[in-house]
Amino acid sequence: MNCKTLHKELIFFLEGDLPLEKREQLEAHLNECPDCAAFAADIKKTLQVTENEKSTEVNPFFYTRVKAKLENNETQHIAAFENVFLRKVLQPVLFSILLIIGVYSGIKIGQPAPVNVFSSTQFDQETVPYLNEMETESIETFLME
Amino acid sequence: MSEAEIIEQLKSGSEPAFKQLVENYQKLVVNTCFGMVHNKHDAEDIAQDVFIEVYRSVRKFRADAKLSTWLYRIAVNRSLNFIRDNKKRKWFQSFEDSVETKTKALQNLAATKSDQPGFQLENQQRAVLLHEAISALPKNQKVAFTLSKYEDLSYSEIAEVMDLSVSSVESLLHRAKKNLQKKLYRCYKKKCL
Ligand SMILES: [Zn+2]
Repeated sequence: MNCKTLHKELIFFLEGDLPLEKREQLEAHLNECPDCAAFAADIKKTLQVTENEKSTEVNPFFYTRVKAKLENNETQHIAAFENVFLRKVLQPVLFSILLIIGVYSGIKIGQPAPVNVFSSTQFDQETVPYLNEMETESIETFLME
Repeated sequence: MSEAEIIEQLKSGSEPAFKQLVENYQKLVVNTCFGMVHNKHDAEDIAQDVFIEVYRSVRKFRADAKLSTWLYRIAVNRSLNFIRDNKKRKWFQSFEDSVETKTKALQNLAATKSDQPGFQLENQQRAVLLHEAISALPKNQKVAFTLSKYEDLSYSEIAEVMDLSVSSVESLLHRAKKNLQKKLYRCYKKKCL
């Protein structure tokens, strides 16, 4: 066995996944190669971390916190419902009203202001022919000039 | 109270049954979440949500299913969602850089608390290294490795939780360990601890 092969198999060796024969070959190499032995010792310590982390004691306040969260969540559910009602019902209604007001005022503003009859006819005589000319002229000829 | 009795009473909304369930399975759920997210506070937080989900959906639980399998599944899924929502590692930061930043932070912390024994710092740095290496694993490898290492589940138990064949689990664990070894070796070479 050389160092490269050992590196490939080391984690499986440390995890106890190897068959006996392979295991013995690795052990033999580790006994005669200080470099690999040092690496094996290091990786073994790192893998040991999970063993130390497995919780052995339980948090005594855990259940109380679950209960509190559960009750809190239920009130949040109601709040969430109110929120949905606000967003899905009241908001569209408000927007529709604003839209209708907007359209209505738009129409109102768009309408010619009721001015007195005399000045209005004067205005028509001056501008209407001009506007009509523009209408009879097609956009192509207008652009080609 | 047996498992079946707990479930039966839980379906009718019994609070003592819920308390019993939490007490019986708290360690299992917290451990699983911790194996996935590597932070005690986050793990307990996710575990609390796991039990709330169980309480709310116990009526959907099939009597022939195993309670622990169901709990593992919810714990794994919630942890994966948590990881997805909290991806803090920057995409341009390499694994070694990430380990180095975190272990340096630990060193600085230890320097301010000079009473802390050096041995504990080394252990904490090793924990950072292993956590980073596990976190870098593809999703399914991470789940299989966590259930195997933190909960000591057998291949067939992991297969049941993950809804996979035993041979798929075997291959996932094999690849997970290979990946971890590669990372740990690179770190060892670069002396990133
Ligand atoms: Zn060697």
